[in-house]
Amino acid sequence: MVEFKDVSVTYSSGVDALNKVNLKINDGDFAFVVGPSGAGKSTLIKLILKEIDATTGTVLVNGFNLRKLKRKKVPALRRTIGVVFQDFRLIPTMTVYENIAFVLRVIDAPAKYIRSRVPYVISLVGLSKKAKSYPTELSGGEQQRVALARALVNDPQLIIADEPTGNIDPELSYEIVELLKGINECGTTILMVTHEHDLVRYFGGRIININKGNIQFDEFIGGSNEN
Amino acid sequence: MKISSFNYLIRQGFKGIWRNKMMTFASFCILLVSLIMVGFAILVSINLDKVIGNIEEKSEVVVVVKDKVSKQSMTDLQLKIEDIPNVSELRLYSREQAWKDMMEKMTEAQRDYFKYADDNPLPDVFRLKVKDIQKMNDTTAQIETFEGVESVQSPTEFADILISFRRIFVIVAIAIVIALVLVSLIIISNTTRASVFARRKEINIMKYVGATNSFIRIPFFIEGMVVGLLASCCALFITKFAYEGVYNILTNDYKLFGVFGLNNIYSFDSMLLPVTVSYLVAGAFIGAIGTSISTGKHLKV
Repeated sequence: MVEFKDVSVTYSSGVDALNKVNLKINDGDFAFVVGPSGAGKSTLIKLILKEIDATTGTVLVNGFNLRKLKRKKVPALRRTIGVVFQDFRLIPTMTVYENIAFVLRVIDAPAKYIRSRVPYVISLVGLSKKAKSYPTELSGGEQQRVALARALVNDPQLIIADEPTGNIDPELSYEIVELLKGINECGTTILMVTHEHDLVRYFGGRIININKGNIQFDEFIGGSNEN
Repeated sequence: MKISSFNYLIRQGFKGIWRNKMMTFASFCILLVSLIMVGFAILVSINLDKVIGNIEEKSEVVVVVKDKVSKQSMTDLQLKIEDIPNVSELRLYSREQAWKDMMEKMTEAQRDYFKYADDNPLPDVFRLKVKDIQKMNDTTAQIETFEGVESVQSPTEFADILISFRRIFVIVAIAIVIALVLVSLIIISNTTRASVFARRKEINIMKYVGATNSFIRIPFFIEGMVVGLLASCCALFITKFAYEGVYNILTNDYKLFGVFGLNNIYSFDSMLLPVTVSYLVAGAFIGAIGTSISTGKHLKV
């Protein structure tokens, strides 16, 4: 669960990135966050990951009150969140398997669990045959699926997808959102930031529109795929 | 932390060494030179102390007593000298004993020459040793003021030279040690910075998936420590061969140095354990601290 209560962020440059934002995303929700560049979307994500602190207001994420959260507890917060980036951020010197297993090593998971969990997650994103491939040997869509598997592997409560379709072919974008929808149906909360209005219109659901640091629109709309 | 994770981090540390070969080599070289120079400065200092200690042991101050001093005055003088805190091993070398010893050392012909001497011309003498050679001048000056003292003879000049030399050497050695340790730390910290930069993607992902600070730092820490340990092992071998070369010259080839007590320095084998431990600890410590400086700055989660 993510909750923003009267959250404002003013950067040291004096720019107001968010103005008294109130927002609640319940467990199991799937929400698209849309808005133009500089609207405050990235600030929203940075707040959830506690890369930055709110100037005023309270941010609650997966049971953590981020205002009171000490620096050394930040890893515990981040272990409940999976992140997918627009530029995939895969490690080029590691295979698909190693890129995903790496996350579990970081959180000190048992070797036996890593050996069983990683192939399972790779199969979920349909890349079992590419487990030994390196990122450079994969297409953009495949790389993003690896990134998705990596976000998913430690079974997070929340997945933040920051423009996950921004660097891949439009037809593959639908595949990625389908995968995210599938993950969401298993109970994981998904927050997807996107610029692609066609994609949002197609899938529908909860849409949060941010502009100039304010939430201008937060409603459910029906998707064209439902017709 | 689980053993498998620990093994993983150690492997990452070794991979880091390989990944940044050139910078690692630079760190290794600077650390090697630093350790050899610091080690030699300390070894010379230790041996200088020993040489000065030997001279201290051998240095004897001779207090010549005036003629015709009463027995009571002699006893008073002895008590006064004994009361000086820097004095150790005070003994009276009486004029009678001195005469007797001199006679024993003489040939028959020489003894004949003195047969007709009216009186024993030799003075009573106190021989003493000082505890601290640096205070020898003060001690002799104090004794000279005592009543009944004719003169005080002491090897102060040589002691002064040695003491000044030791003082200068200690200052230079400390300066060298500090400078080299700082340079080593800066170079290693820069190597780590390059290593952190090379792995910034990984580190970034590690941060996002909830790696703790220590998890991110351990590979760099191991990298620095391994480089430090390798450099200290090499430095130890080089120091050993160089030291033994110097030792052989001083003790075997040029025995003349014995005059200055220089043939009585420590052998390397007698210092092997403390020197080995010091080198390994210093190498690992400088390596590890050097990496911690830059990881501390760059890896804040």
